[in-house]
Amino acid sequence: MIDQFLLGLSVVLQPDVLIYAFAGVFIGQLIGVLPGIGAITAISLLLPITFYLDATASMILLAGIYYGSQYGGSIASILLNLPGTPSSVVTCLDGYPLAQNGRAGLALFVAAFSSFIGGMIGVSILVLAAIPMTTIALRFGAPEYAMLVVLGLLAASLIGTGSQLRSFAMVLVGIALGVVGADATTGFYRFVAMPELADGISLVSLAMGLFGVSEIIRHATHHGRPTPRLNLKIRDILPTRAEARSLGGPILRGSAIGSFFGALPGTGAAIASFMSYATEKRFSRTPGKFGKGHLPGLSAPEAANNAASQTGFIPTLTLGIPGDAVMALIIGALILNGIIPGPRLMVDQPLLFWGVIASFFVGNIILLLINIPLIRLWVLLLRIPYQKLYPIIIVMICVGVYSHRTSVVDVVLTLAFGIVGYLMKSYRFEPAPVLLGFVLGPLLEDNFRRTMLIYRGDFLIFVERPISAGLLACTTALIVFSVYSAIRNRRPPAGLPAKNEH
Amino acid sequence: MTPDNPQQPTALSRALSGGVLMAVGIGMLVIGWSYPVGQLTQMGPGYVPRAIAIFICVMAATILVIDLRSTDVARSDGLHWRGLIFVSAAMLIFATLVDVAGLVPSMFLAVAVSMFADRQAKPLTVLIYTVLATFAGWLLFLVILELPIPAFRRWS
Amino acid sequence: MFRTLMTTLPLTIALALPAVAQDSFPDRALRIVHGFGPGGNADTVSRIMAEQMTQGLGQPVVVESRPGAGGTVASGYVAGEEPDGYTLQLLVGGHAVAAGLYNELPYDSVEDFTFLSTVGQFPFFVAARAGEYESINALIEAALAEPGSIVIGHSGVGSTQHLTGELLGLETGAEFIHVPYQGGAAASTALMGGEVNLIIDTGTVIRGQADAGVYDILAVTSAERWPGYEDVPTLNETVAEGFDVISWTALGAPAGLPEDVEATLSEEIARVLELEDVRGQIEALGANPQGSTGEELQALVERQIAVWTEVIDSAEIERR
Repeated sequence: MIDQFLLGLSVVLQPDVLIYAFAGVFIGQLIGVLPGIGAITAISLLLPITFYLDATASMILLAGIYYGSQYGGSIASILLNLPGTPSSVVTCLDGYPLAQNGRAGLALFVAAFSSFIGGMIGVSILVLAAIPMTTIALRFGAPEYAMLVVLGLLAASLIGTGSQLRSFAMVLVGIALGVVGADATTGFYRFVAMPELADGISLVSLAMGLFGVSEIIRHATHHGRPTPRLNLKIRDILPTRAEARSLGGPILRGSAIGSFFGALPGTGAAIASFMSYATEKRFSRTPGKFGKGHLPGLSAPEAANNAASQTGFIPTLTLGIPGDAVMALIIGALILNGIIPGPRLMVDQPLLFWGVIASFFVGNIILLLINIPLIRLWVLLLRIPYQKLYPIIIVMICVGVYSHRTSVVDVVLTLAFGIVGYLMKSYRFEPAPVLLGFVLGPLLEDNFRRTMLIYRGDFLIFVERPISAGLLACTTALIVFSVYSAIRNRRPPAGLPAKNEH
Repeated sequence: MTPDNPQQPTALSRALSGGVLMAVGIGMLVIGWSYPVGQLTQMGPGYVPRAIAIFICVMAATILVIDLRSTDVARSDGLHWRGLIFVSAAMLIFATLVDVAGLVPSMFLAVAVSMFADRQAKPLTVLIYTVLATFAGWLLFLVILELPIPAFRRWS
Repeated sequence: MFRTLMTTLPLTIALALPAVAQDSFPDRALRIVHGFGPGGNADTVSRIMAEQMTQGLGQPVVVESRPGAGGTVASGYVAGEEPDGYTLQLLVGGHAVAAGLYNELPYDSVEDFTFLSTVGQFPFFVAARAGEYESINALIEAALAEPGSIVIGHSGVGSTQHLTGELLGLETGAEFIHVPYQGGAAASTALMGGEVNLIIDTGTVIRGQADAGVYDILAVTSAERWPGYEDVPTLNETVAEGFDVISWTALGAPAGLPEDVEATLSEEIARVLELEDVRGQIEALGANPQGSTGEELQALVERQIAVWTEVIDSAEIERR
């Protein structure tokens, strides 16, 4: 493996290939910062370019855009509560409060550093364990996915900062929103008020509305928001020694969770970041700090989504199977170059295969190097008065959401979710569990119904298949653990629930 | 926004969040009532919506009871009417115009209208700022990113 | 800007657009609308065509993706646009399926369009894990011997792939279980993982695994054997006489296109489809690059609407 990896490095380090790695991550970074304009839009616009490039350069360029956008996504989330990519929704939870407390520089640094470590761990797993990971991924059938999602939904109710009851109610609302559209099993239209809703509500609209637009509504009125303090000295950007020490565990756990979810086709970075956040919070000694600017709550999901965006290439490269829409685009570029993606890619095209993998390694280093100096520049963005900033943000959201599916309906829906998100916050409901329910709900329904269809309604299948049984055991253990700790910690209710301050 | 009266919120306002949630659940039940439900091993498309709707109603009822009984529910702030109205207007204008008039006019009007969400906005500043912002948007979206949206669409 | 920069990076690439100043059509940008997400077959074919037509027409041709409801959102949009030749649509086989699948479409699938030319035609392949079935005949025998024992994974309810599977069941009398996945790739993963026994999908989905010896291609759905796959038997010659399913991509426009505009566009499409690069790219996508006259395309659409409507009725697929 190492030899082949070095072979790959020798491909990437040629100047005419390196320039595409650089260009890819740079464009990705920029695209990630812009709310709503995701890697998909960017890559599909650049697809015709790959007609003129060779396969290796195309892959390196397009892949760079993909994982570069994961880096960029955290910037708008931390500074403006605008999740630029779906997976950076979780980054908002602790990143934005940090920025509000004058620690934007620190938050950006921690995010970049965690992303870097997560990305590197993801690449290492891709180099060392692509084949074993593929074998595991193939053993995940419908029953396994169903059980995995049950575990995830259970973890989901832990994400909010307020009452468990309210955050669970919001998970349900998220699942309800996920139901809208054509039913995947029968094609039956559910709650489809107009044809634009037939494919369901767009995740981008939901995330942009609940997080971004609601924040603007709240703060657009003058003096609605105190300008955050700005600390720009190097000392303020770097974490203290104690803080740095507290990050090791979360980053490693986040990377592990991210690497795992990334390798499963069809789950992806967004779920990985949610799961790692829930894990950190569940096993933290100070769960109360999460959601108020707690560094582990920022570093774990950042590590997770970047690790996932690297291991996401495992099924793509080893089987020719795209795990998500972006991967499908990248595979499309390969096909247009006359290369058939499939199990033989590694054997038939070793230079391409290992060159692309080595480019991830180089790309992550480039991303870290361009991110650290940019931190101070980004923080300066906060010096612009909010009243000058928000009209531009509104237009960016509009254009981003519209360009996603060329859909006016999506823009109107984003506004609707913005208003809903604004009202929800006024009544102490959290938006994050809604998103998690929205992502996981349809996965659970489809895979459960698929299981019932394939195994003809036999429930025993969930315990007969080893991985599914293991996941079921984990779920049970988590329930027992939660109930046990709830009984043990039963104390008189603490006075006022923490009010969301702004 | 001006703060509400410092007394405890009325029972009605305390019941609001649970009540709205209940309405969502009931609405979902009503609309989805005709969907074929099937059974657990052979779910129809209506199974999950109905189950979720019932769960939401149960949750809403619980929240309603808790909120009504507890005396120290945190008061919600007053609504930010100005932000709500102008942000909505800006986004609706964008949505209405972008398909018929193109990106530049819709960006221009969306920026201009949204600026009035700020109580201290002055017309001249708004005009200058809007021109600059529209130009920047044109540069970013159409020149640098080359998004496939026409700057101006022909009226036909 | 990025696009331009990227394309000019290698100096070998000469992208000097022939800035032919034409006094008539087209004098501004055209767009090709399609109804599917980025990266799909429709999107890729649109971009291949747009790239070359930009050079031939001397005006930029941009691709606009308006996904939703199996492409009907885009079709409804295009049907309502001005028939001036500046709005084109990339149509796919699903256009004919939609006519039978949807109760109320906001357009008429034939009357509201000007059909210009086919772009590519492609069949579907029937694939199973290597060694599991000796031949397509063995598979159908197994299915007939034990009804419901064979599970077909397909790329979504109402997709052409799904209906082809239903049609195979109807024609052979075999009873299959049809399980929907989110797209062909997911169905292929399920086949590899052993969750389903069979998939019916395009060459792009199946070829990689077949080349690696992971899948056996049991049959092809076209009436004749497919070029490049001469050793793959057709369903027509083995288990279901008369079986003939191909899918296609094509270009259309709103109904009522002026004749001269229609001629310009048809001529340009025919020119592009003769280009060596374009043929290679469309072939790489598993299709046979082949233009047609507007009448031929319209006849194809009408024929397929009839076939799919019947399959949807016979297989009792829920209309929407």
